Amino acid sequence: MNRLGAVLIVIVALCAVGLPFFLKPFGVYLISMWVVLTIAAIGLNLTLGYAGQVSLAQGAFVGIGAYAAALLMQAGWPYPAAFVSAGLLCFAVGWILGYPALRVQHHYLAFVTLAFTTLVFLVLRNEEWLTHGIYGIGSIARPTLFGWSTNNPRAFYFFSLGMLTLLAAGTWWMLRSPWGRAFVALRENSVRALSLGLDTRRYTLMAFAIGSMLGGLSGALYAPLVQFIEPNSFALGLSFNLLLMVIVGGSGKFFGPFLGALIAVLLPEWMRIAEGYYLITYAALIMVMMAFCPYGVLGMVERALKAAAVRRDPPMPAVHGEATGS
Amino acid sequence: MRVPMASFIQLLVSGLATGAIYALIAVGFTLLWQTSQTINFAQGEFVMLPAFFILAAMNFGAPFWLAALVGIVLSVLVLGVVFKLIIVDPMLKHGVLPLVISTIALSLFLKEAAKDFYSSQAQPFPTLVPAVDLHIFDAVISTDSLAVLAVAVATVVALHLLLHKTRLGRSMQATAQNPTLARILGIPVRRMVLYTFLINGVLVAIASILISPIYLAKFTNGETLGMTAFLAAIIGGFNQVRGAILGGVILGILDNLSAAYISSQYRGAFPLLILIAVILLRPQGLLGRIEERTV
Amino acid sequence: MSAVLQVSDLRKSFGGITAVDGVSFEVRDGEILGIIGPNGSGKSTLFNCVLGQLSPNSGEVRVDGKVTTGMRPCDINRLGVSRTFQLLQVFPQLSVRDNLILAGQEHQGSMYSRLIGRADAGLGDAADQMIEFFRLSHLSGEQAGSLSYGQQKLLDAAMAFMAGPRLVLLDEPAGGVNLTMLGLLRERLQAYHAEHKATFVVIEHQMEFVMALCTRVLVLAEGRLIADGMPADIRRNPAVIAAYLGHGMANA
Repeated sequence: MNRLGAVLIVIVALCAVGLPFFLKPFGVYLISMWVVLTIAAIGLNLTLGYAGQVSLAQGAFVGIGAYAAALLMQAGWPYPAAFVSAGLLCFAVGWILGYPALRVQHHYLAFVTLAFTTLVFLVLRNEEWLTHGIYGIGSIARPTLFGWSTNNPRAFYFFSLGMLTLLAAGTWWMLRSPWGRAFVALRENSVRALSLGLDTRRYTLMAFAIGSMLGGLSGALYAPLVQFIEPNSFALGLSFNLLLMVIVGGSGKFFGPFLGALIAVLLPEWMRIAEGYYLITYAALIMVMMAFCPYGVLGMVERALKAAAVRRDPPMPAVHGEATGS
Repeated sequence: MRVPMASFIQLLVSGLATGAIYALIAVGFTLLWQTSQTINFAQGEFVMLPAFFILAAMNFGAPFWLAALVGIVLSVLVLGVVFKLIIVDPMLKHGVLPLVISTIALSLFLKEAAKDFYSSQAQPFPTLVPAVDLHIFDAVISTDSLAVLAVAVATVVALHLLLHKTRLGRSMQATAQNPTLARILGIPVRRMVLYTFLINGVLVAIASILISPIYLAKFTNGETLGMTAFLAAIIGGFNQVRGAILGGVILGILDNLSAAYISSQYRGAFPLLILIAVILLRPQGLLGRIEERTV
Repeated sequence: MSAVLQVSDLRKSFGGITAVDGVSFEVRDGEILGIIGPNGSGKSTLFNCVLGQLSPNSGEVRVDGKVTTGMRPCDINRLGVSRTFQLLQVFPQLSVRDNLILAGQEHQGSMYSRLIGRADAGLGDAADQMIEFFRLSHLSGEQAGSLSYGQQKLLDAAMAFMAGPRLVLLDEPAGGVNLTMLGLLRERLQAYHAEHKATFVVIEHQMEFVMALCTRVLVLAEGRLIADGMPADIRRNPAVIAAYLGHGMANA
């Protein structure tokens, strides 16, 4: 990580910590939403950006996590237990879902996750005895940890920011390990990776399961944030939104999800002018972006910096009499 | 629950009719995938849209048959040519993933476009023939069901003849199976690929005309129709046109049968469960071949 | 000498075309076997079947006596069989050093121990040694994608050797490489072979390269084995000459 990057991160971190003191409650709510959705986006980035698989179920996993946490807390479980359970449940579901789907090529996971999202929505809506159906679950309490209540918007923000930092650090550590190298290999050239003994199926499955787990953990934070959940919030729209966050931010880049989630949370506010045309404009922008720069905003920045570096120091011509090859 | 023979026949006929429509949508989807590695997530919206073209033409005073023609032509131009040239070609050089993302975005775009520029309300859509109830044996079968069945089957048959009995069709198949070899054999591969997009444009337009009277023209139609196309293609066998037809028919019949016998709450779940079963037990689909990757 | 690789009656067709038509041969421990033949003779298909990239229609492949037909490429690799690629396939975004660590890491411990262990999976020194051996030291930190074609060929070979394989299959290692680099490549392959007593199988078009490197040569034509012997004998074999004349001799 170069110096410019490190400086930027420090600035952003300072803002993240200082902002809530300058914002009204709605502003604090917005940045809390940003934090919570970033966690889900980091998970999806693992699946999409690192393992190269399209998942349209991340929204469903957020939903499963949210409902699991809300129901467990209603049953009297302490929040930490509910939080962890939501994550583990989604890891298991992700594994079970991905295991057969990833045995085949052709982006089957995309369709399976699409079907899964619809199924989850149907279950959430129909099984009223468990989920209260379309009436949703309300009055979800904000947790009290070590005697500190997170009821206050600012308190909850710092709590979720803490969770984000922890989870992001964990993900960073995983990506620095040989697993990170394996994910890059998987994404760039899975045939080559296979020939080097890399079990591509196992790694892809792992990425998807961990990604889904992060979705569940995000849901376990989402529930106490919004304090009222209902099935419609977790339908296909959320999965699309998360997908777009990862893409726009820069898929496969560590900080892509942070940026993508920020844009996604702020965009509706900025585009209040566009009123009803917000979604259609967003979709059009995505298509344009895919045509010209599928690497997302961070990808564009990286290329621009590289181009600038090349202009400053043009590379030396090859000295060792290498052929230009065929 | 005992089923009276009459209702069963009714369900079968309407099931076959719906199935034939699903087959058209699934075939178009499979063709695009086979020839150009295009996974068109917007296929459902492609079926939703032509109905609006037709309604708009009718608002300008055109009679139904003319509007339908206009709809088909526009569909071929916009969903075939423009789609290929403006979205698919530029994306493909970046790889399959950006194209997949783009078609996902496109599906959202088309859905919102229909909602914003036409209407968010469901619009009635004229049937092909006036609906008259026929009494065959004890069953009540509507003429428009029969008309739908006739048109859909005729289209599928015509497509089959095109693909298997004409030189053009065989060239298209060769392009789908092995583009490099096809090129060496002198087949204009790019033109063949364009033709599949055009054919898809026709197929989705016909499917739209056939299904909109039943579903009404609604901007949300794309979601269910798209899902059905993917399911049919996968269940039947991702790399086989015949598979897509079989998958579509199966889903159509299932759809109608489950509407009658399974609670409406979980009606949509049945095809999804079949998908999961297929992926688990026979991932190449009912008629598909296991594909391999060479280096 | 025992047989490291045994191929028995291997058959592979694609649709109507039979690419490999009942090929059987053995590769003995320590030899450098060359496989030559005109274009379309089935050499690459044969390789891909041995390596698990393709499933043969019938026939059997054994590595050290163990049946490997139908196994996945990653499992076959873990038995000690590695390969280089005809079309260059290094990982362009990783550094040269990272490419090599990647090439060896899947052989260290289990997937989970790798998560907890060192970032370089304990292969840092081994990677440096390999880089040194292939004369790429000055490029160790460079992104693999920025190397010249010949340098990438060397890296490709280095990656194949990282896990200390028993058997290495080289797919057209000389393709598109200039004479100086070719000499270096051949010399390094021979040095590795001498030092580690590895067994090589080489597919190649360039006769000079094959004749200079290989201890035994097989000739394939139209999916069948038509000759098997010492390089000098193969050169004079009328069946071989006929097969090539039909397709045009290359660098003979």
